[in-house]
Amino acid sequence: MHWLALPVVVFLALALLYPLGRIVALGLGEGFVAAITDPYYRARLAWSLAYGLGSSLLCILVALPLAYAFRYRFPGRDFWLAFSVVPFVLPTLVVAMGFLSLVGPRGLLGLNLYGTPWILFWASLFYNLGLVLRPLVALLPKLSGPMQAARTLGASPARAYLRVGIPLLAPALLSGGSLVFLFSFTSFGVPLLLGGPGWATLEVATYHALAQRLAFPEASALVLMQLVVTGVVLGFYLRLQAGWAVGLEGTETPRPLARGRALGLAFGVGGFFVLLYSPLLGLVWRALERPAAWISVWQSPDFTPGLLALQNTLAFAGLALLLVFPLGTLYAYAVWRGARWLDELGLLPLMVSPVAVGLGYLLVYPWLRGSIWLLIAAYTLLSYPLLTRTLLPALRGLPRGVLEAAQVLGAPPWRRLIRVEWPLVRPSTTAGLALALAAIMGEFGATLTLQRPEWATLSLAVYERLGRPGATPFYEAVVLAVVLMALCTALLLGLQKSAWAR
Amino acid sequence: MNPPDDTEGFFMHKTRNIGWLAWLGILFVLAAGILPVLAQQTTLTVLTHNSFSLDKNLIARFERESGIKLRFLKGGDAGEMLNKAILSKGAPIADVIYGFDNTLLSRALQADILQPYRSPELSNLRPELLLDQTFRATPVDFGYVALNYDRDYFRDRPLPQRFADLASPEFAGLLVVQNPATSSPGLAFLLATVAAFGEEGYLDFWEGLRKNGVRVVSGWSEAYYTHFTRAGGDRPLVVSYSTSPAAELYYSEAKPKPSEPPTANLFLPRSSFFQVEYVGILKGTRNLRAAQRFVDWLLSKPVQENIPTQMWVYPARREARLPEVFRFAQVPPEPARLTPQQITNNRERWIREWTQVVVQGQAAEAVRARR
Repeated sequence: MHWLALPVVVFLALALLYPLGRIVALGLGEGFVAAITDPYYRARLAWSLAYGLGSSLLCILVALPLAYAFRYRFPGRDFWLAFSVVPFVLPTLVVAMGFLSLVGPRGLLGLNLYGTPWILFWASLFYNLGLVLRPLVALLPKLSGPMQAARTLGASPARAYLRVGIPLLAPALLSGGSLVFLFSFTSFGVPLLLGGPGWATLEVATYHALAQRLAFPEASALVLMQLVVTGVVLGFYLRLQAGWAVGLEGTETPRPLARGRALGLAFGVGGFFVLLYSPLLGLVWRALERPAAWISVWQSPDFTPGLLALQNTLAFAGLALLLVFPLGTLYAYAVWRGARWLDELGLLPLMVSPVAVGLGYLLVYPWLRGSIWLLIAAYTLLSYPLLTRTLLPALRGLPRGVLEAAQVLGAPPWRRLIRVEWPLVRPSTTAGLALALAAIMGEFGATLTLQRPEWATLSLAVYERLGRPGATPFYEAVVLAVVLMALCTALLLGLQKSAWAR
Repeated sequence: MNPPDDTEGFFMHKTRNIGWLAWLGILFVLAAGILPVLAQQTTLTVLTHNSFSLDKNLIARFERESGIKLRFLKGGDAGEMLNKAILSKGAPIADVIYGFDNTLLSRALQADILQPYRSPELSNLRPELLLDQTFRATPVDFGYVALNYDRDYFRDRPLPQRFADLASPEFAGLLVVQNPATSSPGLAFLLATVAAFGEEGYLDFWEGLRKNGVRVVSGWSEAYYTHFTRAGGDRPLVVSYSTSPAAELYYSEAKPKPSEPPTANLFLPRSSFFQVEYVGILKGTRNLRAAQRFVDWLLSKPVQENIPTQMWVYPARREARLPEVFRFAQVPPEPARLTPQQITNNRERWIREWTQVVVQGQAAEAVRARR
């Protein structure tokens, strides 16, 4: 094993494997019978599976025609393509508040979709469309050859796409679809806030069992159920990735269209995206409705003051980044130079849900309950893979010629690192750090499970105001959600800039 | 080779430098966040439920005379708050916990999160409230959880006459209750149904309620201030306290002041439940002396006489006077009764069975069969 990976493996062992092991042991023991025989939990599992599969199908069905449209040039094409990944990094609470502002009990539209599966599927499409769409659009250039051949042989454009294009796209679809399944299946914040008691996923049921009834064995059994499914799907996803690698560099220039058609497409695609992402507009609209909330939220007496929540969010993110940076970069370097098994081990944190992480820490580290490092460890665990996975392709893409030239010219390894490698991977590192930072700031599941009043972040400050009587708490929650959204958006804009400044 | 010209470079790479500035800004706020923690403060943190309230002047006087700053942490309804205290055992999130009641007492004691304290004021309290012989839980106030109804809604409509009537179709969609897992009045109401219908009948009653459209929320304030028709909601029947109608009159802003409250108690036989609220000092507190002073203060005459109009419960102190408006507060003639031992032995199972029938939609018979 490469020595670089040692600190990471130690961290994973303490922060993930040991707590997970205890959860599995407890879940297989007392909790198992209760969970398996209980029709309610079986129904939660069934619904979680249905939600995952339904979300995948929905994203695929919507992405396919969209990808076809994106082959052409029309006003707004580049903007919508870039924007489609933004929702993915938006915090759960922001998205949930957006939906509540638009179509909740106090919704702008007057239409109340709270407690229905439709709002959950809409939220899933909102979050995950980019996961399927972007790789599809990047893959489309590869289709031009075969599609051309099909057209020459007499097929209409649509038929060529259906019979030739889509089968060629299948690996990308399955890959993106598996990711969508994983994220929807382990969904927590959105079903908790929007689904009501009838549409709780396994994760929500785990949290309720813990927080309402302190039922550790039952909660552990539910985590175990979830792990089995995510393990299988993740394995499938990795096999797909291994068998099919695509370079996302080099996009084909979009084809020009006649003006009328281009405008039509702009309206159609643009209109669809505006509708899809309208909850964000609803959130901002709601926030502007009550200026008084903007003032009262910072020092509210009955809830966590907004100022404290903001300080906590930034401070914890900063602290976690101090760990994420060395951990993520060491890991990426170790995988680049080392064994494949390290790569798969590094994906474990993505398999485990945040509530499970919190549950595990409560179980195995009771003496650390008052220590902030418990929460920071959870944040680090859940976000360092984002840095690693962004950095790895950059490392793998380092031009060997340049590195070898530096070596031949007599530069020692550390000098190579600082003067040659680092400048080349810095944009990816910054991008990965920004992603990790966004993920930490928006983290909800682990924060809610491990909550302590002095650790309240913006996400918790929003959550505690929901469901409380009166209009003021709701508007304060909206304001905080907008603040959180602004923070994450600022980060992402910085990310885009640094990516283009390369 | 010329060294890079940095003056030009600084402006050319504006975006990169904005990045560094942003990082600096973050570190700044980080420091601002940590600095207050370093400052020393003697603050006593009291974990309470959401309905906690005391006169601000009384609190200010206590802070002045004792030199202790009080910080009240509202942790949800009583059950939720107690669970938070239990989950943070060993690293308590507060020094004192107030608001867990006799229905939750054994959960608090069994979790072993409280330390004993024999306040000198104990001899001034009603002896029947001293249920904990280990002195870890000290009674502060008591009351009756009871059904309330909106007089306006039922002006020309018949009221339910028996407890079982609530599950009959003519009263469908009228009731809002609290989840016994998170709420103490919710739990008290559940216990009343167990006392009234017995082990073999209470789940059928709840299944009937579920089919009759009962609404379940997580806490009393949500039920009373969002879903009760008096607050603009759509449910004219709510599980609340026997003193709530008196409170409605007290807070009424109608001119002239009405002669009777707009809501009333619905004292169906054995539908009310006697509730005592306790205060306890959490194990592991670093402010033991301050915590003890706080408990003594809670039991002192001025505070005990202030509690009725703040939290609408009766004071535990024997000779504390009740306010004038409490003549509208009635005592239920036939409250439900369960022994503390019965509650201790069965509470968690009753909550679990209730959850299975009402929240999860299982059949009462199926749940009973799995006992």
